[in-house]
Amino acid sequence: MLMQDVGAFHPEFVDLSTSTAAQWLWLIPAVPIVASGIIALLRQPRRKPAAALAIGSLGCSLLIALYAFAHVVSNWASGITTREVVNFTWMQTGASTVDLGWVLDPLSAVMMVMVCLVGLLIFIYSVGYMEHDENFTRFFCFLSLFAGAMLGVVIANSLLLLFMCWELVGLTSYLLIGFWYHKPSAAAAAKKAFLTTRVGDIFFLLGIVWLFNATGTLLFYNHGSGSMEGLALANLLTQHAGLGLSAAGAIALLIFAGAVGKSGQLPLHVWLPDAMEGPTPVSALIHAATMVAAGVYLVARVYPLMAAGAPLSSVGAMAGTTAPLIVVTWIGSATAVFAALIAIAQNDIKRILAYSTVSQLGYMMAGLGLGGVAVGLFHLITHAFFKALLFMGAGSVIHGCHEEQDVRRMGGLWPVMPVTFATYAIGMLALCGFPIFFSGFWSKDAILEAAHQSGFIKGPYYLLAFGALLTAFYMTRQVSYVFFGKWRGHGHAHESPKVMTAPLAILAFFAIALGIIGTPAWPWFHAFLDGHAAAIDLHAFAEADFLKLLGTSAVIVFLGLGLGWALYGNKSPAAEEPDALEKATPWLWAGLRDRLYVDEFYSATFIVFYAWWARVADWFDRCVWGGIVALVTWLFRLWAQLNRWIDNEWVDGGFDKTCDELSSGGGLLARVQNGRVQIYLRVLAVAVVALAVILIWSSRS
Amino acid sequence: MNYADLFRVTLPETVLEVAAIVVLVADLVFLRKAVLRARVAAASLLGIAGCAVAWWAVGCAGAQGFSAGQGWGAGSDLLLAAGGTAGVAQVGILVLTALTLLLLIDADFTRHAGEYVAVVLMAAAGGMLIAAAQDLLVIFIGLELLSLGLYILTAFAKKSGKSAEAAMKYYLFGGMSAAFLLFGFSYLYGLSGSTSLPRVVYGTYMASAHGGTMLLYVALVMIAAGLGFKVAAVPFHLWAPDTYEGAPAPAAAFIASVSKVASFALLISISSVALHFFGELHFTYVKAYVTARIVSEPVHITPGIPTAWPLILMVLAVTSMVLGNLAALAQSSVRRLLAYSAVAHAGYILLGLAFFSWSSASAHAILYYILTYGLTTVGAFGVVAVVERATGSDRMDAFLGLQKRNPLLAAVTLVLFLSLAGIPPLVGFWAKFNLFAAVLGVGAGSVSLWLVALAIAMSAISLYYYLQVLKRAYVMPATDETPIQAHPVTLVVLLAIAAAVLVMGCFPALLQNWIASF
Repeated sequence: MLMQDVGAFHPEFVDLSTSTAAQWLWLIPAVPIVASGIIALLRQPRRKPAAALAIGSLGCSLLIALYAFAHVVSNWASGITTREVVNFTWMQTGASTVDLGWVLDPLSAVMMVMVCLVGLLIFIYSVGYMEHDENFTRFFCFLSLFAGAMLGVVIANSLLLLFMCWELVGLTSYLLIGFWYHKPSAAAAAKKAFLTTRVGDIFFLLGIVWLFNATGTLLFYNHGSGSMEGLALANLLTQHAGLGLSAAGAIALLIFAGAVGKSGQLPLHVWLPDAMEGPTPVSALIHAATMVAAGVYLVARVYPLMAAGAPLSSVGAMAGTTAPLIVVTWIGSATAVFAALIAIAQNDIKRILAYSTVSQLGYMMAGLGLGGVAVGLFHLITHAFFKALLFMGAGSVIHGCHEEQDVRRMGGLWPVMPVTFATYAIGMLALCGFPIFFSGFWSKDAILEAAHQSGFIKGPYYLLAFGALLTAFYMTRQVSYVFFGKWRGHGHAHESPKVMTAPLAILAFFAIALGIIGTPAWPWFHAFLDGHAAAIDLHAFAEADFLKLLGTSAVIVFLGLGLGWALYGNKSPAAEEPDALEKATPWLWAGLRDRLYVDEFYSATFIVFYAWWARVADWFDRCVWGGIVALVTWLFRLWAQLNRWIDNEWVDGGFDKTCDELSSGGGLLARVQNGRVQIYLRVLAVAVVALAVILIWSSRS
Repeated sequence: MNYADLFRVTLPETVLEVAAIVVLVADLVFLRKAVLRARVAAASLLGIAGCAVAWWAVGCAGAQGFSAGQGWGAGSDLLLAAGGTAGVAQVGILVLTALTLLLLIDADFTRHAGEYVAVVLMAAAGGMLIAAAQDLLVIFIGLELLSLGLYILTAFAKKSGKSAEAAMKYYLFGGMSAAFLLFGFSYLYGLSGSTSLPRVVYGTYMASAHGGTMLLYVALVMIAAGLGFKVAAVPFHLWAPDTYEGAPAPAAAFIASVSKVASFALLISISSVALHFFGELHFTYVKAYVTARIVSEPVHITPGIPTAWPLILMVLAVTSMVLGNLAALAQSSVRRLLAYSAVAHAGYILLGLAFFSWSSASAHAILYYILTYGLTTVGAFGVVAVVERATGSDRMDAFLGLQKRNPLLAAVTLVLFLSLAGIPPLVGFWAKFNLFAAVLGVGAGSVSLWLVALAIAMSAISLYYYLQVLKRAYVMPATDETPIQAHPVTLVVLLAIAAAVLVMGCFPALLQNWIASF
């Protein structure tokens, strides 16, 4: 069943028949998943075929994604923004059907190109990084499966299909965090990640069930009858769910809980830093660029539901005015600052980046809440590139320093690893939001601008601005520790091979260049996602608001960079020496170093409660249920034995006895003819009589 | 009724009979000197070609919409229906027949390949006849055509004493059941004065309203004995374990799949006719009847087929589910295990027939169940055949270490047995789900709820014995690690069946839509 849907989201969405690109969109996730299956069947040490299959399949997906993207862009350029959907019935029970499908619209098009491109670069990089690992094949199998599942999340047009892929992504994340499962910390981190995200997923699932119950469909868009379209939303708004929320608001909040778990927002962020136990390419791909952004993408996907009921005016003013969006904004802003604070006092190079990722995801959430889909998504895309760059740079550093991860045992690396340093610096400046030249500046600025303009709530603006200061500070600290000062590690550091540095260079290019499509003068990205035409307007640079904002953020960034450099620049303290900030404020430092005691709090409350509850349940299981089960088992065994006994003694036994008696005289023929067949036939006759008696007895009246 | 119409409707059966003769002639005349392997392959391929042509013919008959097939009125002297559930069942019979013929390619139990294939095709023609039959005589002829073929197939391993013994028992049991059936039919004819199903339903209604109820009940019980024998419902199942154990594997697969599909299609058409005749009224009566029996209150009810028939089916269903599953627990032979599991599955389906819906929901759910069950069983017997050839035994212990000895075969076993147990996302789960949902949709009240609860509990028990086999294949240490070789064709067929089970499980709407499209 092919359908296509246009016009429900925006007045400019125009009718168009389903294109080839949309019809074959399913290939994008399917190819890597099939490749993963083939790799799984390969015999273990086949390194080259495994890598070639994984990279080749993702390359194919990238080509298809680019084709689809070009298709959407060309339509948009000619003035029609399409949302093409292909739906099919997955199963039918009674009157209700469960449909699945995929969607090609600007949102999914942008996202799939990003996932394919970043994924492909990280795949290539992994060939170098995992070169000496004995489980190379398994690694690429998981990586491919991940890419397929993630692309499935991106193109899904059904909340159910999205949820399936979402769980698959969670599974691969679990497998890859625990890839070095012989390390107890990795195994524990994998378990933690899986369980923590599960907490959010339970609420997500509740939201899905509620949505299906309320609207009868889980499709996002289905020619006007999807759950994200006017009719269903209007229906949801009229239902009250208590606490002053409409059903739409309550469902949106439940779905957002799933996004909180997956995207490491407060209070479920604790798993993401621990997830850095996985191989570095995994951290770059899954825990920085793509999977953790799936939560943000989910919120963008269900944005119509989130924003349902907001007064319709211009896009910017409408945001931040519904209960779910306010929650999203506050949680995002709080996470942004909270994680940035913790990042200051970490010494593991990947953990700093992990907390930075949590913080940046908070920015994206806040951007969605305040400025709408385009603002949040733009930061998602730029962040994916520069954070993947940073992680892979960190991986390159770790690789070059013989698996050392403590920044205090590095230093002075910039002459030794020039390419890594140059690209890392670009990534770092993009992350800090260094003005004008880096993509991160434009995307972060858009969020700040949206926060500033929001007439509804002001708090997030100050939180986010403070977060920007912290970001510049902790990144300066990290870069100073790693690349400047004296070498404090063991042995000699070395530059990584070309297969690792080349992807870094490509990502660095994007970390700079992507800014171009989101400047106020040429807001191409926003226009593309929102479905209106983009025009170049250089005067936007000269507007007072823009200049004021530019000035503010420049001051914030330079303040952060300057503070960082003043405290850490070229100091090269020894590893055992207390940190510069620790000397100044020991109490603050201790709190930040211990990650503001969130983990300890969870251990002392939830974990203790669950352990106690588990003990009670265990006791109950063993003593009560176990006893019942044992009893039932015993009864059934008895019954089965009885049946067998009847079969053996009564039927077979009679047969055997007859045989024994007749075998002397009868031979085979007698054996066959006078065997238990007679008993069978007697049973048949008795059964007929018994049935007739039952029937006649039951019809007496 | 004119003969041109009749010929058009029986075209598929005719094609199969012609194919049977072609196979015989080809084998006896042209391939006399050829090696056995070539003769087996040629006979199988000719048989499969016959099935393919017959499928095309089914499509033609359905497309032309045989006019007499549309009318349910008491006035039509309908012999055969075309299209609808009959069409689905006929296509199912043809596909399953072709699959069992593919399994023959690897078999070596007989040197008379041509005869074997010819008998298979004739039996399949009998099955197609009863799937579409609307007349007592046609039903009986079709049943006999099918049954006689099955007796011969069971006895086909002429060197095996077990095969001969099983066939003898099967034949005696079948003969007696057929006698009961015919006796029951004669009573029905006596009561109603007609052999056409709609008229029989009408006639017995009139007769029982005038005091012929006892006679009708006796007739119905006798018919239940005859049909219960075909579907192996307790207490008419006693032949099944011996036959499944003694028959050559392709024949056992044929008995377990094609014969079941045909017999259940017949039961569906009987139930449909009864229901269509009484229409909506039926609901009230059955509900009142069942409630009355449970709470023992005297309620005025209409006597006749629509009240008594479901009760008989319900009794058979419950006994089959309980005894089939429990007896399977104690088996150590995989073939006997499959036999008792077949009994159990027949019990679930009979439950669906006892609570039959006026709309097509029940018919579709039952067809879905029986087709997917038939497919899975053919695969299961294929696996058993391969293992049996390699180890010389069908004991469960023959499956020890199968995962090491032939991983693909072990994977197929895993998929098929889990599907039989009803584990999602395999097709067996959706079959059970649809069937039980249909039962609950019809029987509003506590009786159907309790029976479905019983069925679910029983299918939970069934997991135990299916896992017994899988445990040996995957977990328990192997006693022998020499690889098991399977014929490539067999392996491809088995893999295709497993893939179909998996794909249809992931996309349950595929088969549902196909069934609904007839």
